Amino acid sequence: MVRRFVPLLLSALALPTFAADTIKLAITGPFTGGSAPMGASMRDGARLAISEINNAGGLQVGASKMKIEVVERDDEAKNERGALIAQELASMSGLSGVIGSVNTGVVLAGDRHLQERGTAKIITPAAGSASMTQWVGKAPELSIFRFAAHDGIQAAMVVEEAINRKFTKVAIFHDATNYGVSGRDDLQREIKKQGDKLQVVATEKFNIGDKDMTAQLLRAKSGGAQAILIWAIGPELAAVANGKAKMGLSAPLIGGWTLSMSNFIDNAGKNGDGALMPQTFIEEPITPKAKAFIEAYHKAYGVNRIPSAVSAAQGYDAVYIFAAAVQQAGSADTHKIKGALEDLKEPVRGVIAAWKHPYSKWDNKEVETHEAFRREQCVMGMVQDGKVVFAHDEDKQRLASLAKAP
Amino acid sequence: MTVSIVAQLVVSGALIGLVYALIAYGFQLTFATSKSINFGQGELVMVSAFFSLTLITLGLPYWLVVPCGLLFGAGLGLFVERAAVRLALQQKSEGWILLTIILGLFFFSVAENVWGRDDRPFPTPISQTAIQILGVDVTPVELSVAVGVFAIMGLIEVFKRQTLLGKAFEAVSADPDAGELMGISATNTVMLSYALSGIVAAVAGILVSPITTVGPTMASALILKAFSVAVVAGLESGFGVVIVGIFLGALESVASFTLGSGWREVPGLLLLILALAVRPTGIFGKAIIRKV
Repeated sequence: MVRRFVPLLLSALALPTFAADTIKLAITGPFTGGSAPMGASMRDGARLAISEINNAGGLQVGASKMKIEVVERDDEAKNERGALIAQELASMSGLSGVIGSVNTGVVLAGDRHLQERGTAKIITPAAGSASMTQWVGKAPELSIFRFAAHDGIQAAMVVEEAINRKFTKVAIFHDATNYGVSGRDDLQREIKKQGDKLQVVATEKFNIGDKDMTAQLLRAKSGGAQAILIWAIGPELAAVANGKAKMGLSAPLIGGWTLSMSNFIDNAGKNGDGALMPQTFIEEPITPKAKAFIEAYHKAYGVNRIPSAVSAAQGYDAVYIFAAAVQQAGSADTHKIKGALEDLKEPVRGVIAAWKHPYSKWDNKEVETHEAFRREQCVMGMVQDGKVVFAHDEDKQRLASLAKAP
Repeated sequence: MTVSIVAQLVVSGALIGLVYALIAYGFQLTFATSKSINFGQGELVMVSAFFSLTLITLGLPYWLVVPCGLLFGAGLGLFVERAAVRLALQQKSEGWILLTIILGLFFFSVAENVWGRDDRPFPTPISQTAIQILGVDVTPVELSVAVGVFAIMGLIEVFKRQTLLGKAFEAVSADPDAGELMGISATNTVMLSYALSGIVAAVAGILVSPITTVGPTMASALILKAFSVAVVAGLESGFGVVIVGIFLGALESVASFTLGSGWREVPGLLLLILALAVRPTGIFGKAIIRKV
């Protein structure tokens, strides 16, 4: 009985691996909790791209057409959950790639498992510098790519904005997470790099869940800060904006792209107006493709504002870049896809830009080889009446021309 | 450091401190009658806040939401008493410790599944625009916290002193066995204390939500501070929790300013250790003499 049963059982277990007529793509991120606007928007943007591809019949892989099958995992923005999910995905048979991660801590906890197995991953929209710099000098080959404007670019833009606005005294605010602390370091480095034109009158920290920012704001106020450079996520950013309004402190918030999160904008209300942040995509129909994307998103998910437009657009474009790599590799094998990502021949027309050779062969000393975004793809956004708009009008034309470029 | 900065720090800290005090007061109410504490009190605060938010989104006016929220809180308190405390007390076991913690976890999971894990704003008709009083910026919402805390605690204290039911409450607190001999049902009095404690939790939830936003973890930071306040003040004195709550809140705020924001919690924790080392029954507590 057992002898007859065991082979049967084995063949039943082995069966799914033969049925590889789909490309298995994992999407991970926090779909619930304080980071959810980013995670869920990224997922929904990616889903939109995937359903477009599947509705058109799938991807041309070698001789056959293959559809994309999605594996979704909610990491709840928790480092330990992120590590578990990465382990599961690393050992999942037939997985072609991973797109996702919002929180730098989650990336640091999980990505080494994927790297060990050589599973291709495109990080989006996590922006913390450490996500990529952790591999410098350590990995001769790297299967981890990033599709987000990293904090190095963002911090440079934030400092530049403060200098352009003729500020001389600023306060740095950050939360106690990996993201906040590495953002603080980036800001300090950039201030030095851009000629020490800004004097930091206060460097203040707060924890996730803190609502009373009076002490931190008073330190900024008594130091005479003209702007608050800030690295944190939605709920605490809102607490700072609300505290600022309470104390009549007019210094604007300039900070990481998280200032565009819906849970900042909603919880801060009118106190959030005027906050400035680097963006890679703004929910304005500046190109026909952007218009189509925004309308499709609103229709598919029944909303009239994308919770995090940057995340949604990046999720969408990341899928198309991944799809282009699959077609170029002519295989569902993640190692071959990784190779194709490092040398994409055809430009990929995305909603953010036309991506021409976004990545190149991994150089152990240069993270830029696996970073898709440069300063030119980013603009300053500003919160106004519950929406993110272009802070500088001239950026509209610049972004639109990038999307048109061949 | 000018006087106005100190005043601003003390006032902002003290207002949050009053919320700690109100939650700690909820511990006191049940401890008085039954020598038991609901370790899931923070979850009652959170669930009541979510319930009230739901009523607001359904379109109920604020003045109707408040009493409904309070009734809901009372119901939750009674549920905790029946499900987690009563049998344990009858059997003179300490099972209520674990059971109230478990009920708290249960409420947490229910809230996550029913209302989701996101922090949501809590609309309130009270203005959020700051006004200046003697050079200190406060918002009417923050003042409403102070007014609400004093009002509910005052009402309960008057109730305990002036009404027959309240006197029964005091009698059972003093000596349950003697109370039973006088014809007072200890079980009913314990139920009453849990209902009151639930109401206090609901008041805390409704008052603090416009400031903290509503989410499953909204009370987890508050509850730890409330424990500190209850321990430092002792579990006997309502007046004591208010004083200690205000002091702890102000101390945190001042420490955060003078020592840096990373040191916010340290003086409060030192105070807690000191209080436990010097006066284990709390500053305002009475030593319990056990006659064997």
